[in-house]
Amino acid sequence: MYAYISSIWSYRYFWFSLVQNDLRQRYRGSVLGMGWSLLHPIAMTVILCVVFGSIFQQDYRFFGPFLLAGMAVWNFLTQSIIVGCNSFFMAEAYIRQQPIPMAIYPLRTVLGLGFHFLIGMGLVVALSLWFVGWPGIVPILSIIPSMLLVFLFSWSLSCIFGLATVYFRDTRHLSEVGLQILFYLTPVMYPPSVLEGRRLGILLKFNPISPFLELIRDPLIYQKLPSIETFGVAFALTLIAMVVAYSALKASEKRIIFHL
Amino acid sequence: MARIELENLSLTFKMRACKSITLKEFLLGKIFTRKAPPDIIVEALKNVTFTVEKGHRLGIIGHNGAGKSTLLKTLAGVYYPTSGNRIVEGKISSLFEITLGFEPESTGWENIAFRSYLQGETPKTIASKKDAIADFTELGDFLNMPVRFYSAGMLVRLAFSIATAIDPEILLVDEVLAAGDLAFQAKARQRMKDMMAKAHLMVMVSHDLGSIESICDQVIWMDHGSVRMFGPSDVVVRAYQDSVQSEARAA
Repeated sequence: MYAYISSIWSYRYFWFSLVQNDLRQRYRGSVLGMGWSLLHPIAMTVILCVVFGSIFQQDYRFFGPFLLAGMAVWNFLTQSIIVGCNSFFMAEAYIRQQPIPMAIYPLRTVLGLGFHFLIGMGLVVALSLWFVGWPGIVPILSIIPSMLLVFLFSWSLSCIFGLATVYFRDTRHLSEVGLQILFYLTPVMYPPSVLEGRRLGILLKFNPISPFLELIRDPLIYQKLPSIETFGVAFALTLIAMVVAYSALKASEKRIIFHL
Repeated sequence: MARIELENLSLTFKMRACKSITLKEFLLGKIFTRKAPPDIIVEALKNVTFTVEKGHRLGIIGHNGAGKSTLLKTLAGVYYPTSGNRIVEGKISSLFEITLGFEPESTGWENIAFRSYLQGETPKTIASKKDAIADFTELGDFLNMPVRFYSAGMLVRLAFSIATAIDPEILLVDEVLAAGDLAFQAKARQRMKDMMAKAHLMVMVSHDLGSIESICDQVIWMDHGSVRMFGPSDVVVRAYQDSVQSEARAA
């Protein structure tokens, strides 16, 4: 695996310049440009705060940062899966040109999305410091390894779903439907306490996304360090996803081109 | 050190009749297995064996579908052989389908960077080569335009200039020169000769027997995925011409 990673690293200028290019192209000719990356999550949060704050009777000073944090992580993870499904098809021209490690193409996708995740997280931190207050230096610093875990998890998922789509085209549509269902089973829009004590509460325990939500929300919204258990589960999930992605790539990397 | 050695190399494509299965077929296929369409098996390369040492220019000829381009892509490492050995020593640069590997929305300059990075360059090494590449293309201000506005000939100029500027040890070219205008073809031919002078290795696929004979010193004649003949270019080209003519007479 080390040799594979270092091979990806040796092509760093290639994928990095492509990610830069993707971000530039995205806002080509628009007046606000990159401002949209910032404005979009803000507008989303304001709307959701107004609507859901009054329905769930939640204080917007808590609910605003809570929702923004949830949306940032959820969007990053799920977009990595959905956009990642196409990452090998989009790279067909390069794949037919030069043999390079295939994980580079999902990486391109995930880094582009990760840029927006970073902006979203910047907003979450700013908003939570303003509304909720300073949680202390250790909890604040804990979101750095947490975000790294989220990134590695997204990259692995992107590889896995990208490969699956190459062999089975319906993957993208199936995962879109699946994620739609998962969205309502994940405490993104509502606090986990809503489900506690109900029968659906058990689903939270086995939801692969919620540990990552807790990792980000615990320090910022609840002002405490995530528990060792949460860290452990998130770490284990990331590790499993990475191993699956790596072995799937190793097994099928050389055959991808025949299926594009 | 540039060297190519293929040993009993075979490449078999296995394709499903309709490319990929849908969910319906996946579910129904389990129940009505006899309805599943059989896999299409194409033996693109069969037991190809040859060795080319550095300093040679190898031409590949043969009729359409003989496996010429497949052989070239296998040399590049884009296709992995089903069986047999492929030993390629040296830094490879390839020129396949011309529009491949360009970001259509990006400018010529940006694409020079992407392509060069893909071939293993770094910002430092590129800085000195960038202007030389741009000069060789003679595209001038067009380089500031997104490449989706480029004509086929302009794309060839750009692709060829980048592929040859990085000073590859092995250059693989697939029938692209024809799209450039006459002036550029002459220029490109000269550059290939310069590269050969530095004792590198080139493999070229073309239907233009004239340019094969003038550029290459060795030729492989591919026929239905197998090597029909391998030798000095004039001998192989002559034999190929004779065979084509006798086939035409028989028909």
